[in-house]
This record gives sequence, structure tokens and C-alpha cells, in this order.
Amino acid sequence: MSNTSMSSNTLTVVDRDGATHDLEWEPDQSMMEALRDNDLPVLASCGGTASCATCHVFVEQEVFDTLEERSEDELELLVEAEGYRECGSRLSCQVAFSRDLNGVTVTLAPEG
Amino acid sequence: MHSPETTRHETGNGTAAPVVIVGAGHSGVAVAAGLRSRGWEGGVMLIDAENEVPYERPPLSKELLKDGAPDESAVLRKERFYADKGIGRLAGITAESIDRNSRTVLLSDGTGQAYHRLVIATGSRARPLTLPGAGLPGVRCLRTRDDALELKRLLVAGARVAIIGAGYIGLEVAAAAAARGCDVTVLEFQDRVMSRVTSAPVSRYFEQLHGRHGVRFVFGAAVTSIDGGQRAERVTVADGTVFPADVVLAGIGVLPNQELAADAGLECRDGILVDGDGRTSDSAVYASGDVTRFTSPVDGASQRLECIQNAQAQADRVAAHITGQAAAEPEIPWFWTVQHGVRLQTAGVRQPEDEAIVRGEPSGGKFSVVYLRDGRLAAVDTIANLADFRTAKRLIAQGARIDPVLAADPGIPLAEATSSTPNHSDADLAAARS
Repeated sequence: MSNTSMSSNTLTVVDRDGATHDLEWEPDQSMMEALRDNDLPVLASCGGTASCATCHVFVEQEVFDTLEERSEDELELLVEAEGYRECGSRLSCQVAFSRDLNGVTVTLAPEG
Repeated sequence: MHSPETTRHETGNGTAAPVVIVGAGHSGVAVAAGLRSRGWEGGVMLIDAENEVPYERPPLSKELLKDGAPDESAVLRKERFYADKGIGRLAGITAESIDRNSRTVLLSDGTGQAYHRLVIATGSRARPLTLPGAGLPGVRCLRTRDDALELKRLLVAGARVAIIGAGYIGLEVAAAAAARGCDVTVLEFQDRVMSRVTSAPVSRYFEQLHGRHGVRFVFGAAVTSIDGGQRAERVTVADGTVFPADVVLAGIGVLPNQELAADAGLECRDGILVDGDGRTSDSAVYASGDVTRFTSPVDGASQRLECIQNAQAQADRVAAHITGQAAAEPEIPWFWTVQHGVRLQTAGVRQPEDEAIVRGEPSGGKFSVVYLRDGRLAAVDTIANLADFRTAKRLIAQGARIDPVLAADPGIPLAEATSSTPNHSDADLAAARS
């Protein structure tokens, strides 16, 4: 479907039904774009501006600890989101591509 | 209509004609993407009047106008997405007319494009000024990326900028112009900013915010003419006051681009009329996004919404209906604007009669106004307060009853301000509403 690239990451996604998908995450995509462009049900209705929380994912704690801190806007949206995890919730639009994230697994948070 | 010299029937991966989408804004692209994510295997063809990779519009009046910002707006999808998904694109080409009998769209290059289903997602355009001098160079509107780049070129330090209309666009441009060192005056016919979309406390807050950044406001201003020799030099209002101006921006609302549909005999009334599945009065033709008018599933009102949420929700309905699937539950309509770095984010569609309750102290720069209709949460404006936004969006969807006394206390989370029945004395209620 997409061009196989030596430089892309593999991203493993657990969807809301518990099914697992292995995606290619290209260097010019945010995590949200990788999810959305691979047809996972991520609405991303603000286009990636940390305004809507429809791209909420759970990241494993050891990965979470390596990510940049959440902005105030992101945190405010997440705290009120369904299933918020203090050390795991991220808006995937705010997670940039990084080689260090190759092979990580994320879980789509419940909608609502 | 003219008979096209050639008509495209091929779809690349099937024998039937493709789903043809006219317009590659947020809604058109979302229909194309939605058809693929829902497993549509037939052809999909996007007809885009603009000759570039389809892009996001919200940043055009925000990030793009900033000093030093690149002259690019984020694209909706990466360019390769369209090829990867087998979505055809005809760029720089407009749809001129529809022949519903032969299910063909006549294009500006003289060819015809056959369709299996047609989706009209032509969006809206800036409402033009119709007063003397409106055509002078230096008089601008803001809708496309080219509009934004031209405006950015004109907003140089020291330029005198007159903005007609204190709505979202006018105020976002006022903020950008002030930040670039322009001398900005906003001329507004009503008596406060953003009067169509928000309540007086929010208007007051944003007027003061702009004032602190040097933006001047003139309310009750009916512009009568723009004058100048080679280009705009001054703006005159009804009481005779003249405002010198090097740049004039009109931000006086939008008009739906419904002509393609109206000329084809599809029912329109300030917007193409569509049903809950996005269908027009012709069952083979859908419409989606800003260009549509429809009955609100929330309150039964006839409405035309200018927002990304609606562009996306309707696109999903259209894609679902074409593929014979169920649509996702739509989000509550929501809107945002950023002015001088302060974000106003709104959920739900407020009506002027709604009861407005202020949560928090506006002078602190972080507050909300909740709007109650028959005791239920109908809308919320949040200023630098996304926690209330998120919660309110859920409560609006639930039709939650809100206790006005509790809601007025910013120390109480909005989710805990719900009530099954009103249970406060009239005196409490009067105090909360004062």
C-alpha cells in the first residue's frame, strides 16, 4: 500500500476491539498521521493541533518516560478524556517521529 | 449544457464510473479517505479547483500570517496518500455543470467525468463587499492559501490596516497584523466583537485583549465606501468618519458555493439541502461540508455550519451511505479561534436566548461561559480552559441537565455540576444568574 522505506518505523497498534496491527510509520508523519493514514479509526478532527483529544492513545510507561513533556493544552484535554492514564496517555498528534520509537506498541484509547 | 468532447469513464480499477468528489477541502478529502477506509473498491476521483496538494484552512488566518512562518499551510494528507489509496486527483480544474441524466460532470478543460455517485463539497467563499471602491487594489478577503500569502505580503510594519467585520477571521487577522507592527482598526457594524457566535462576557474579554495589543475598535460602523487613486487609501463610514488605510480586509462572513448544484436543479436554500445521509434531492448526488444546509439532529433547527467538525462528520455520513455502512456517531459541533495566543474553543451552537453562566474570572485569562437551554447544557465557550471544553462536549452530547449554581463555581468540575432536577431556591438561581 505505502512505499516501503528503509527509514520508516514499525508501529504496533492495538485497536479498540483488541486486534493488533503493524504499521509503517514514515519519518514525515506524526504518530496520529501514521494511525489515520493507515485507516485506524482516529478522527483527529482538529488536524493535529492538540485541540480535540480524538487521537488519544496509551503508550507503555517505559516509552512514555522517553517522550517530551505534554503541553498544558494536551494535558488539560487528556485529563478529561475517557480512561486517562497519568503515565501513559498521549495525544498521538503531539508525538513526532523518532528512530527511538521504532517497534513500540500503542493502544487506541476509548472514544468519548 | 455543452456535450463534452470526451467523457472519462475509466476508473483504473473497475468498470463502473467512480465516485466523483467536487472540491478538495476538508470535507472532500475526508469523503475520499473515508470511502477507502470503509473498503470502497471502486474508483474515487477528486476534482480540485486549486492546483496544489489539498491543505488545511484554519492555519491560513493564524500560523501562516505570523512573522517568519513558512509560506506553507499543513497539507490535509501527504501527497503520496492519494496515489497510495488509489484516489485520483484532477487539480486546477473546476466542475462547470452537472448532467444528472447521463451522470456526467462537465469540467473546465472541456472534458466530461462520468460518476457513479457525485459528492459536492465545494465549500464556501468569502462574502464580497458590495460598496464603492471594493474592487480597489489593497482590498482583500481571506479564504485560500493565495489570499493568505498576499495578505501576509501587505501586512508590513507601519501599514494602516482597516478590518471590516469583527468575526473570527477579522479578529485573527487583526491579531496577526498587530503582531507584525501594523496600525489596526476594526470596523464592526454590531456593538461588540464576535456577536454572532458568542456572549457579551466573551466579547468583552477579547475586545480588551486586542486593546492591550493596540487594536482599535469602532462599533456601530456601517462602511459606506473605500476610496483611493491607484489603490485603497481610506475607508468612510456612515457618520462621515474617514479612516486612512493601506490595506482593507473584509471579514463579513461566507456564502455557500452552491451554484453548481442549483444550476443542476438540486434544491438549495442558502446551502445545498441534504438529508441525514448527506443526500441532495437527487439520490445519486450528495453534498458535504460548509456548502450544505440540513436539519440539526440536536434541536431540529435548519442550519449551515462552517466548521471542521461538520465537514468531517458529514463526510463520514456520505462515505458510510455510499458503502452501505453505518456512520459513526458525530461529534458535537465545535469551533476554535486563536487571537494573540489566546484560544477560544467552543462546543455546541449557542443561541442568543440561552442562559449564559460565567465560570471563573475573565480577568484571570482562564474562564468558561456555559449556555443552558431549558436547563440543559447547549454550548460552552472556553478561554484557555480545555478541561471544561472536553467535559462540556460530552455533557452536551448526553443532553445533561446543569445546576446553574454549581456551574457558576469554577472550583467545582463541570461534570459535578449536573443535576437530575432543579433543586435550588429561586434566590440561589437569581444570585447565580446575576
